[in-house]
Formats: sequence, C-alpha cells, structure tokens
Amino acid sequence: MEIGDEQVGETRVIAPRGRIDSVSSSELERHLVARLDGGARRVVIDLAGVEYVSSAGLRVLLLAAKRLKPPQGALVLCGLGPGVRTVLELAGFTSLFTVEPGREQALARASGAKAP
Amino acid sequence: MSAGETRRLSVPATDAGIKAALAALERLWAEQGVSRAVTWPVDVSLDEVLANVVHHGLEGRGESAQVELELSFEPGDPPRCEVRVADDGPEFDPLSAPAPDTTLGVDERPIGGLGIELVKRLMDEIQYERRDGRNHLRLVRRLVAMEH
Repeated sequence: MEIGDEQVGETRVIAPRGRIDSVSSSELERHLVARLDGGARRVVIDLAGVEYVSSAGLRVLLLAAKRLKPPQGALVLCGLGPGVRTVLELAGFTSLFTVEPGREQALARASGAKAP
Repeated sequence: MSAGETRRLSVPATDAGIKAALAALERLWAEQGVSRAVTWPVDVSLDEVLANVVHHGLEGRGESAQVELELSFEPGDPPRCEVRVADDGPEFDPLSAPAPDTTLGVDERPIGGLGIELVKRLMDEIQYERRDGRNHLRLVRRLVAMEH
C-alpha cells in the first residue's frame, strides 16, 4: 500500500491508496500511530485513492478517531468513493466520523472553521 | 453454476495466503472484464471471511494449514459470482455470531466484530455447513452496484 502524507498548515493529511484490507491495514495503522505518537492532533484522511475498505480498515479509522477526539483533536475523512462510503454506512460509521466531500472542505473543517 | 469460469486454489492460513486469494479474485475480475464498481463487495467479503479463518479458526497453524477456495464467475445480465471457502479448523458457523451494535458511539464501539456483519449485508446468499470435519462457507452475489 502506498500512503501519501503531507503537512498542510496545522493539519496532517494522510492519503492511503489501493485496498485497505486485513493485510494492508496494519501498514496504515503503523503509519497513523507514528503520526499520532509524533504529536499530530489535526488529521485529514483522504480516501479518494482507496478502492475498498474492509472491517480491518474500519478498525484503524476507529482507532484514529478515539485518539483524535475533540476538542484536543480533529479527524476528518474525505474523498469517499461509493464502495468506501457504503461500507462505512453499513457499519454505522458515518455517524462516528466527520466526513467532507473533498480535501479543501476537509482541511477547512479540521482547522476548526465552521462547516459550510 | 453452469457455464462460466471456475478457479480452484489452496492457500496457506497466513497473511500471504489471504493476499494470494485476493489477487486470484482480482485476476478473475480482470479477465472477465467486470468493473470494480460491482465487484468490491465480493473482494471485501472474501477478505473478511479469510481474515476470520486465518486469525481465529486456524490461528497459529500458519503454513501447515490450508484454506481451499473456489471462485466462480457466471456471465449474464447481471453476471453472478460464487465463492466457496473450506477449512479444517474448529467448527465455526459465522452466521450464528451475534450482530454487533452499529449504533454505539466512538467510545463504546468495540474494535472488531464487524466483519461477518458486513459480509451478511454485502452478499445475496451465505450458507454454512460443517461437513467431513471441515467448515464450508458459500457466498453468492449478483454483480450489480449496491443499492443504497
């Protein structure tokens, strides 16, 4: 799995690409945990390049959400394709996460700006 | 299934085995020219089922345990896919597992336990059978976009 990673202002943007399945999810987990341990408190996970996500991937997203609870932290997901969105909905995860359509909106949300 | 294409393979009960199985499914999709927009529920479900078998049923047996797979594709309108998974781990009927509460908040939500629930919601048919000391799971899905 390739994982894009960039700092935009106060926010760390992490963009995994490919499939987040039971094998590759551990790579994403290690990457996220390293960032969180390194002090990242505002995080956008851009899922635009993700083909599908299974429950192992949901587990990693949940772990990040638990560590980035407001007000000290912020986690925003964006770029959900139909498959990724459906899995999140079936798992009842959409209510647990702040979701924005694109990266710009997600960055605005993570930096504390009001939702449009 | 009648006409169509069927692949049989056997993979070790390891992460490498799961990867090999998902890659075989991917090759089948590519050869049959079906779009990822309709195949992802099958990919996700196979990952869930294999993760369960490898990390629970056959846990610790690694290379010494094999998972038998049969991947079938039947052309049509819509095409149809059938996946069979067999293992000789302890008897486990995934369909008997209680459904997780998908309404809990971030703090209350247990990590894990969602996989089988997703499979139930993504597949058209799931059947479990314990036969000859083995677990047999059969999954079927018509390859159409998820209505949601």
